Amino acid sequence: MGGYGDIKMIDENGLRMDGRSATEVRPITIETGVVPVADGSCRMTWGTNDVIVAVYGPMEAHPRKIQRQDRAVLDVRYNMAPFSTTDRIRPGFNRRSREISKVTADALASVVLLEMYPRSKIRVEIEVICAEAGTRCVGLTAASVALADAGIPMTDMVVSVASGKINDVVVCDLNKEEDNYGEADLPMGVLPNTGEIVFLQMDGDLSPEQFQTAWDYNVNAAMEVHKIMVEALKNGGAK
Amino acid sequence: MAIPLVPKILRSHLLELASKDERIDGRGRWEGRQTKLEVDILPRAEGSAKVTMGDTIVYAGVKFQLMTPYSDRPNEGGLMCSAEVRPVAGRNWEPGPPSAESIELGRVVDRGIRESGCIDVKSLCIIPGEKAWQVILDLFAISDDGNLFDAFALAAIAALKNAKVPCERFEVGKDHLLDVSSMPIMCSYHKVGNRFVYDASKKEELGGDERIHITLGEANHVHSLQKGLKGIFSADEFVEIMEKAKDTSKELRKLVNSVVGE
Repeated sequence: MGGYGDIKMIDENGLRMDGRSATEVRPITIETGVVPVADGSCRMTWGTNDVIVAVYGPMEAHPRKIQRQDRAVLDVRYNMAPFSTTDRIRPGFNRRSREISKVTADALASVVLLEMYPRSKIRVEIEVICAEAGTRCVGLTAASVALADAGIPMTDMVVSVASGKINDVVVCDLNKEEDNYGEADLPMGVLPNTGEIVFLQMDGDLSPEQFQTAWDYNVNAAMEVHKIMVEALKNGGAK
Repeated sequence: MAIPLVPKILRSHLLELASKDERIDGRGRWEGRQTKLEVDILPRAEGSAKVTMGDTIVYAGVKFQLMTPYSDRPNEGGLMCSAEVRPVAGRNWEPGPPSAESIELGRVVDRGIRESGCIDVKSLCIIPGEKAWQVILDLFAISDDGNLFDAFALAAIAALKNAKVPCERFEVGKDHLLDVSSMPIMCSYHKVGNRFVYDASKKEELGGDERIHITLGEANHVHSLQKGLKGIFSADEFVEIMEKAKDTSKELRKLVNSVVGE
């Protein structure tokens, strides 16, 4: 969080720099089957975020030492393409992408019925082609759609949204400037069927009231995004 | 890339098809897959392109950085080209440091562009000995169904052709298009069933032998060649594919021009 509180990001009418209200999310499109050689895939654009997820498996887990006798292992990789940001990213794993891969895997493992595929592996490859803000949320949400497209059984899809604080006002779904100069960021992964949470991170500064508002914004936005996900899967159809 | 066990039955099937002058997906011997080229699609890259050849999908993105010219070439900027085939592109591509296959991909595409001289590295110099542009071309595969070489090369030249030098962001003048003076085009041929075919699919690659990549510039000048994988070919075979490459590269050049503008 940059915390440059002197940059004005909300006008007199309560509208943000891109014209959205406090609770409005950026435009979202979802398309399934975009990686023809994968078992399931999804492209999600969210604002100018552009994320492609491919799912491979369930397949044999090798080397053998990674196998689990009672369930499948979920191998999740989050990566940003070198040209996805203003300053080029050097290819290869870094600490940030490794952490995001891990929390994404933990969130997905909570909904995928891994015990149905003992000794096997399911690979989830999240590639950020163009980044704006909130790529981890887009990646996790798109991964849920790609897993569904691959026909992998899940108790629910994870919908991930982040709310934050700009100019001491809580707003939903931060864009690039708001993320850079905002004062807090609260990404969450919600299960729309039950309202339960499988993914939670936060950094910045929120009062107890602001925290509750951000939480509620996320849960409400997740329900909206879930409708778009279901629609995309109906149109694309699971293979 | 981990090479999976190839069933002998695939090889013999390809051989049988070849004896009838057929291919596994019904194409003619010199026929490419349907190719779609889109440019300027990535808002964070200074130049970008996406190529779809059948089920093979790749992106190319151009970024610019400021560099200090090398002391032995104080009037020149730099050009860097790297290819990445991450596990997203197929079940046999593995995570980890770049594999030999993806390094070969990047280097062969790099040579075609560099040696064609389409980017004048002298024009990338801003202040001799102090400041110059480094053009970084990143090639990124999303779906590998064979012939990543041609897809990468096509995306590469198209991305360079619509790249805008971000002078204003670095406070060194006005933004302008990168000067790309010619158009190198790569054509790849794979030995499948004991004869060369153009634009091999993944199945043909797995059940085939050696491959040859030819990069031709304007007026059919040769700029890079690469023979890959195990196999033997005759001079006559090479003459034949070279002739075919001249025709095919002409068609592809038309495609790029129709999308990017001359």
